[in-house]
Amino acid sequence: MSNNKQSRIRHHRMVVFSLLSLVVLTLVLPLIPYAIAELGETAGNVANPGTEYWRDVRQRDRIVTGTTQVRGVDTDVLINVTGEEWRQFRMGQLAPYGAIVLGVMVGILVVYYLVRGKIRIEAGRSGERVRRYTSAEMTVHWILAITFVLLALSGLILIYGRWVLIPLLGDAGFSATATASKVIHNYGGLLFAAIVPVAFFLYLKDSLFNLKVDAKWFLRAGGYLGGEEPSAEKVNAGQKAWYWVAMLGGFVLVASGLVLDFPNIFQQGREWLQGAHVIHTIVAIGVIVFFFVHLYLATIGVEGALESITSGHVDANWAKQHHDLWYKELQTGQGGGSASEEPSMSGGSHAGGVASPIAKD
Amino acid sequence: MARMKFLCDVERCIECNACVTACKNENEVPWGVNRRRVVTINDGSPGERSMSVACMHCSDAPCAAVCPVDCFYYTDDGVVLHDKDICIGCGYCFYACPFGAPQFPQDGAFGSRGKMDKCTFCAGGPEEDNSPEEHAKYGSNRLAEGKLPLCAEMCATKALLAGDGDTVADIYRERVTWRGSSGIGWGWGVAYGKAGLREGKAIEGKATGGE
Repeated sequence: MSNNKQSRIRHHRMVVFSLLSLVVLTLVLPLIPYAIAELGETAGNVANPGTEYWRDVRQRDRIVTGTTQVRGVDTDVLINVTGEEWRQFRMGQLAPYGAIVLGVMVGILVVYYLVRGKIRIEAGRSGERVRRYTSAEMTVHWILAITFVLLALSGLILIYGRWVLIPLLGDAGFSATATASKVIHNYGGLLFAAIVPVAFFLYLKDSLFNLKVDAKWFLRAGGYLGGEEPSAEKVNAGQKAWYWVAMLGGFVLVASGLVLDFPNIFQQGREWLQGAHVIHTIVAIGVIVFFFVHLYLATIGVEGALESITSGHVDANWAKQHHDLWYKELQTGQGGGSASEEPSMSGGSHAGGVASPIAKD
Repeated sequence: MARMKFLCDVERCIECNACVTACKNENEVPWGVNRRRVVTINDGSPGERSMSVACMHCSDAPCAAVCPVDCFYYTDDGVVLHDKDICIGCGYCFYACPFGAPQFPQDGAFGSRGKMDKCTFCAGGPEEDNSPEEHAKYGSNRLAEGKLPLCAEMCATKALLAGDGDTVADIYRERVTWRGSSGIGWGWGVAYGKAGLREGKAIEGKATGGE
């Protein structure tokens, strides 16, 4: 009897003990690794060699180049870490913001034309023609203009053709257009590189800022936004600004463009190419924006402006209105010529057939 | 459908360049073009590691994103291919690619770039499978024959794996489980010296970097 009772008590104890130990072990056992980590700290200090290797490959800490048997550009670099940044620039910034900037400029000009209309020669045409550009100045202008337009157009096709022209021409059709654009851009750039320095020195003398006159011109925004038209020399401050944008921009475009050209001859690395591309495209968009203004004012914006660069001559009243200081200079007869010479109009669109009021060259 | 992947196990690659040679031979790639290359980091010092690299057939491929003529496409197997009839050889894919995969044979005056050439995962191009035109432009189309890329098939140490991403991942995970993934796995002290382990020093021969 007592035996039976004792065994039941023992059994009871065993059950309680087992349950208790189960609870304790469940709580304590998972803590053992932490305890080991706490006590034997040394193990945790060993860096995983794998992480260092991958950090090296991704060049997070330093520029890492390896060695390879394959000869070629940048073949010893495992991961091109700047490639994705360049992609983000071209697709996420250049293409959308470039389109916005160019579009906004075109929009401003359209609105300006609708509001202000063509700027007329107020006094009407006098019929008297005044010599403005030499034939050298005209020739260089047109070589520069044609190369620039071709380069700008082919460049814009290479950026925006994928969205604008593929739906129109199809894949194969646009491929032909893009190939032509690439060839024009690569070789036309060389012509541009040759003509920019010539233009720079040819137009430099007339384009140096004359602070007294030009600051006033800028403050009144050239009279384009209302108010009286400020006085200007042969080249007004806005035109001087365009000269400097086009020329300095042109030099940057030529320099960065030459870095991008001929990759198989110079074996440029990707960082050079990416950097040159970023500079090239930002400056190009900037110069094209200014070019839109120049194009507008020279053609539909201002009456009597375009003939100055097609014939080399302008109407005397145009000169009086837009370039009064220059006109006065002509009047005082610098170089012996006289602006009040007999009007040599009618069909006088050819430089050779028109008497030059100032014997400039 | 499978999602094709390459994986190079750097613990196994011995820089034998057999993958490079196999690729060149199988695809008869143009002169001066290597679709695959082996790069060695820390060559000659303890912790040297080599890796075979080619086009990794990205899901969101930078080359395809920046291409001005949109000549890239993805196959159902997730392989990134391009159409050489559309390519204009501008080189933008080479600027953007993280792995330096796009290659350009010299073509035309003044060393201008020819049409881009890159690893096709031995999957050819847009032409009819295994037609002579496809072979001339893109090389072999082993995938159409039910075979995997030759570089991985040739790999002597099975460092370079190619195939469905799930299968490749399973194989690699199993390897890592067995050999341990870090410097504090079981048996490290025995294999490489307890002192190094305790003092937290880089372990000679195993840790990267060397001084």
